[in-house]
Amino acid sequence: MTKTITQEKINAYALASGDGNPLHTDPAFAAKTQFEGTIAHGMLLLAYVSEMLTSAFGEDWLRGGRLKVRFRAVARPGDTLTSAGKVTSVEGGKTVCAIECRNESGEVLVSGEAVVSRS
Amino acid sequence: MTTLAALEKGHEFPTVPFDLSDQWVGDYVVSVEDEAISALDSGFVPPMAVAALAIRALLEQTSLPPGTLHAGQELAFTAPVRRGETLTVAARIASRGKRAGWALIAVELRVAREGATVMTGRATLSFPAEEGSAV
Repeated sequence: MTKTITQEKINAYALASGDGNPLHTDPAFAAKTQFEGTIAHGMLLLAYVSEMLTSAFGEDWLRGGRLKVRFRAVARPGDTLTSAGKVTSVEGGKTVCAIECRNESGEVLVSGEAVVSRS
Repeated sequence: MTTLAALEKGHEFPTVPFDLSDQWVGDYVVSVEDEAISALDSGFVPPMAVAALAIRALLEQTSLPPGTLHAGQELAFTAPVRRGETLTVAARIASRGKRAGWALIAVELRVAREGATVMTGRATLSFPAEEGSAV
């Protein structure tokens, strides 16, 4: 699943989520930080990952999904992100997946594990 | 407003209600371009929307230090949530630490519908530690 980050999308997410951290929404502020520009919210990236898991597992993801991730690098306006997952085990009604989100350079931005209890 | 940096381990946030209004969920779904949730059932709320709104409710009780970063996230969903529902979120500071000049704080949260858990989570946040601070 692929999405392209824009400042407009970051601003829309900031408005919806109530997370108006200037690191995400204020280019002048963000330019003075270690990132030298605005970055996307981590939870926006997780929304993309969750959409992928909803698409794969349907309602089971909503009623029995578990996610554990680390944010390893930041996403910036202009980045094209790809979320992907690979089933690593299926046992006892639980499907375990390694999940990640990468940018167009192949850099891993988010990595971790999702577990889905299947009904 | 108290900043997150001033809260000690074990601090419990007051339980607060929040509404998943149809308008808000619609705005959220558009902002994250989620096409999968509506393919299931137009009444379902994306689980990350529940997490985002729960966190928003918590942020109304405290402010984040400048430069706060999201280092990690754990979430577990136990029941689907529908548009129009009112949920509550309870949270506590689960741990505090300091590494390489950065403070690390873990916030555990529990989201419930009429007392029954629908989601639990743990967010790890980091921000520049102040000189001489205990974290």
